Amino acid sequence: MKKDPLPVLAGVTATAMLAGLWAVFFWVPTEEFQGVVQRVFYIHVPMAWVAYLAFAVVLVCSIAFLKTNNSRWDTVAHSSAEVGVVFTGICLATGMLWAKPVWGTYWRWDPRLTLTFVLFLIYAGYLVVHRTAADPSRGGRLAAVVGITGFATVPLVHFSVDWWRGQHPGRTVINVEGSPQLPAEMLLTLLFMLAVFTLLYTVLMTLRVRLALLEQRAVVA
Amino acid sequence: MKQALAIAAKDLRSEIRGKEIAPAMLFFGATLILLLSFSLPPGSGRAPVPIPVAGAVAARHVAGTLLWTSILFAALIGLGSSAAIEHQGSRIEGLIMAPVDPALIFIGKAAANFVFLTLLEAVMLPVFVILLDPAPGLFPGILLVLLMANIGLSSVGTLFGTAAQFSTSKSLVLPLLIFPSCVPILLSASQLTSGLMMSGTFEGQSRWTILMLAFDIVYVTLGAVTFEFVLTE
Repeated sequence: MKKDPLPVLAGVTATAMLAGLWAVFFWVPTEEFQGVVQRVFYIHVPMAWVAYLAFAVVLVCSIAFLKTNNSRWDTVAHSSAEVGVVFTGICLATGMLWAKPVWGTYWRWDPRLTLTFVLFLIYAGYLVVHRTAADPSRGGRLAAVVGITGFATVPLVHFSVDWWRGQHPGRTVINVEGSPQLPAEMLLTLLFMLAVFTLLYTVLMTLRVRLALLEQRAVVA
Repeated sequence: MKQALAIAAKDLRSEIRGKEIAPAMLFFGATLILLLSFSLPPGSGRAPVPIPVAGAVAARHVAGTLLWTSILFAALIGLGSSAAIEHQGSRIEGLIMAPVDPALIFIGKAAANFVFLTLLEAVMLPVFVILLDPAPGLFPGILLVLLMANIGLSSVGTLFGTAAQFSTSKSLVLPLLIFPSCVPILLSASQLTSGLMMSGTFEGQSRWTILMLAFDIVYVTLGAVTFEFVLTE
């Protein structure tokens, strides 16, 4: 029998997460103007990026599902949408925690905040459609249509900070200036946390897809 | 294309005979403008206000948002019922079995919804003018924004309106699908309308126009491509 890679992957992710959190809390220097609260940046930004990744997976798997009618694709797309919605939620929550001390308010109707909230709702809609359809195979198909059209909003969220002068900070890593506008330690910590959260996404996805397959088997049996 | 037109004509004819959508949609829209006007502080109106009242805002600052919020809610009623009617007596099954490309069914139904939306706006705009008082000279500009937005709104409405009919909780799923997807269009439409009322021109608004047209194109295309899968059993 082939060895299950999941425990190893989970172990690596947990270790990397501890190392990453150590870097976030102790190693990286404190930002001069915003103080300690700026450290939430290393969770907030990776959460947003991994959420984009999750929604891109939803897009690709939805197209594949509609093309092949193989329900495995739907299972992966649905799992990815769930993880994506959770990550978008965490992104919104960490953003609010940062905004309270820095802006003095949890929420502003800034374009990027608003559109991220919209993204959250679109994929929440995906999950609801998937769940409430009269029969599951149709639910998967309807959700796939939402997963494909919903992705149109992702680039809008990402580039909204360049297109409209809102209050959300601009893009600091891949940006209009052409080079990262961050000190090396901060950039390194950010990229490391990005890798950690991508690993976490992989672990969560593996678990969720397995659970879904078990559920389907239980329904059939 | 002939087939798409035939489907649009069928939907419109059915509405002319049955009058199931338009009356409810129109009165609901007018009610909404009235209700939303209550959210303005007393004394708000055309700027400059003759006698300034503390807290009064010039209606033109918020008019775009008020108009578009009302249109979207009223449109939801119309789009929802236009899709629901098609499911009564399994009319939709006839369409599914008809030897017509699903993309053309989509285009036809979206065209009919486009007409409904435009009718709705034709009635709501005068109410809006009476209550909120924008200058009548801005009418052609506002009309242009309305027509541009209707393309995207009717596409989203047709696609998700039909999709929601296959859900066990239609009335929940319908707004949850339609509202968030319409935000990019709604955002640009209300920005263009407000900009127009503030400055009288579209100057400096090209970004919003591009955004709206981009989403029009995206939604029409994706709707036509994916409608097949919404209809598949």
